[in-house]
Amino acid sequence: MSASAGGPAAAPGAATPLSAEVRAALIERLTAMADDELLLGHRDSEWTGHGPLLEEDIALANLAQDEIGHAALWYGLRQALDGSDPDALAFRRDPDGFRSSLLVELPRGDWAFTMLRQFLFDCYEAEALPRLARSAYAPLAEAAAKAHREELFHLRHAGLWVRRLGLGTAESRARATRALDELWAALGGLLAPLPGDALLEAEGVLPDWGAVAEATIARARRALAEASIDPGFDTEVPPASSREAVSEHRRELLGTMQSVARADPEAVAW
Amino acid sequence: MSPEADVSRAEDERLARFEARIAAGEKIEPGDWMPDEYRRQLIRMISQHAHSEVVGMLPEGAWITRAPSLRRKLILIAKVQDEGGHGQYLYHAAETLGITREEMEAALLEGRAKYSSVFNYPTLTWADVGMIGWLVDGAAIKNQTMLAQCSYGPYSRAMVRICSEETFHHKQGKEMVLAYAHGTPAQRRMAQDALDRWWWPAVMMLGPHDSDSPNTPLLVRWGIKTKTNDQVRQEFIDEHAPELLEAGLRIPDPDLRYDEETGHWVHGPIDWDEFWRVVKGDGPCNAERMAVRRKAHADGAWVREALAAYAARQEREAARAPVEA
Amino acid sequence: MRWEVFKQDAPGRPHQAVGSVHGADAEHALLNARHVFGRRPSAVSVWVVPADRVFSRTAEELEAEAGRGDGTAAPAPAGAARRLFHVFRKASHRRSMTFADHVLDVEAADHASALAEALARASGEPALAWWVVAADDVARSDPADAPSWWEPARDKTYRQQSYYGTVAPQRAREAGR
Repeated sequence: MSASAGGPAAAPGAATPLSAEVRAALIERLTAMADDELLLGHRDSEWTGHGPLLEEDIALANLAQDEIGHAALWYGLRQALDGSDPDALAFRRDPDGFRSSLLVELPRGDWAFTMLRQFLFDCYEAEALPRLARSAYAPLAEAAAKAHREELFHLRHAGLWVRRLGLGTAESRARATRALDELWAALGGLLAPLPGDALLEAEGVLPDWGAVAEATIARARRALAEASIDPGFDTEVPPASSREAVSEHRRELLGTMQSVARADPEAVAW
Repeated sequence: MSPEADVSRAEDERLARFEARIAAGEKIEPGDWMPDEYRRQLIRMISQHAHSEVVGMLPEGAWITRAPSLRRKLILIAKVQDEGGHGQYLYHAAETLGITREEMEAALLEGRAKYSSVFNYPTLTWADVGMIGWLVDGAAIKNQTMLAQCSYGPYSRAMVRICSEETFHHKQGKEMVLAYAHGTPAQRRMAQDALDRWWWPAVMMLGPHDSDSPNTPLLVRWGIKTKTNDQVRQEFIDEHAPELLEAGLRIPDPDLRYDEETGHWVHGPIDWDEFWRVVKGDGPCNAERMAVRRKAHADGAWVREALAAYAARQEREAARAPVEA
Repeated sequence: MRWEVFKQDAPGRPHQAVGSVHGADAEHALLNARHVFGRRPSAVSVWVVPADRVFSRTAEELEAEAGRGDGTAAPAPAGAARRLFHVFRKASHRRSMTFADHVLDVEAADHASALAEALARASGEPALAWWVVAADDVARSDPADAPSWWEPARDKTYRQQSYYGTVAPQRAREAGR
């Protein structure tokens, strides 16, 4: 049933009959992916006007647009399944309805923190997106291929910074290491499967998520080692925090992000 | 003839040739002879323009985190990114005249450099973002279109590129304000309130009256400016006043009226006391804007040091190991 | 460090001088060039060169040098190693966002000889300014990276003015929308 085998269920644009169970699981997974992209893009955008170099203000603004664009893509796939309006999902859903991971909710911190967080997320997308591009669910495969193209550049940018932070000054390496300690604890939450993922994997809609997690960690470890950043973490996937848990960071972020939209609930168009 | 007279006659000849080139519509490029005053005026103008773009990222940038739809969020990030990019083009253009980015940044952060005073006003509501796009970018476009004719090549080219990128800034602002002017009562009030606060700053953005602009005649003679402040201001008001009124908004100028005979809009007196206070640093947000830029610069010092250290390391390694072709 | 940026808008078109970026090293400069000049579509390749490695002469400077007799045509020592140089020319005073186009490549011993060679070949054609750059000094974007570097800009249609509906609502209502 894989898209690459050209099976009958995979024609782009054709309605793919999904069971209620698979549909529900896919909606959860798409929501988690979209929420991650939206909150990460939001955190990136907080740097606009505050970056260490004018050129990096421009760079982060590009990352932010790409991530938010991806969020719109995944929300759009969910909309095709259950009719939810992406803006309603983004701006009028309560914090306990979000399925973002702690990794993307954490405040932007210093430059090392933002670059290391972006780097870890980009490692994950470098492993997840090419595999998602082979999904049996054609809309997901197409969207993943498109997002992957942009993520390749993100990884290049993040990789550039990981090397410069690790191989720059003692201070930059120290900040990178500190950042990684905190981020590593949250990485598990990004990589952990959702309850419905096993079903999606069985249907060929999602790749082997365990393989994605392992490959992400291996990729990250390689690059960090080359940059002499070694926080001393072990090879196992760190313990996961649940996406259903509402962190104070998620609350703070959404409180700001949704404030204008919520102030005028009658407004139809912004 | 004395050596001094020889030198001064040679200078006069060079100036005459320079002015003839400009009159013929030629571009002056880096490496060409130019009077010191031309170079000084351009460095002043271009660096001020660059600082304005960079400081200008802040009033709207503050609303990125509160943009109320995915589309508006993307648009605003792209717009503010462009403003950073435009500052970047302009710093480059100024650097061709012999000043460095570091010198220009230092001048800004130490309060020695000016930037457009319009960015010293606060953005109090989301609708301000739309009104800035419509009015402030509208005024900027008029000015920049004029400057694209500038005699100095690098500045002209930066302006042409900026003009091509700025049109969507204007359009997205106008679209937003029109939507709110015809939206919910709260949106309509927000749009009107934004206009009440941004109309005069936008009008003043085009600079003092010609009678108070001592630099203008020389700048026009040398092709740095091709129109005066009042001319550009008139173009701005003629375009925007009727559109704002058509949208059902009230312009906060009781004397504003259309003159059938001239075909132009006549405006009321501008409060230049406020303009000069804000230019001199006493506006509502001057201190805040500068504090943000200083903090960003200071916080970024360790990052820039790391970049330099890495680059030095790369050079050392390249020197040790010859690179194969 | 300042780097001059040359951008190719489409396959087959020449690289054009579009401005400069700051960057601590070549890789950083290349990525910055993509960030600064790749926001809009119509880019397929960028080159970056340290600004102090660009040999530049305007027509006025060449005239003055010829007048003084210290032209650029000093012959290189016999047997001097020849390297590849890219030559860029500005041909018009017309308003533009680009300064000079890549017009030819020359093998020469140094920048000055490369320009002399270019001038000899281009005799009769109008030239307002010349830039000469050693090929070895150029850091180039990788063609294999083109999809991720340049195509994403196409999807950001909100940068196009045609994306916005700015017809006044009154007129829109009259049009029956």
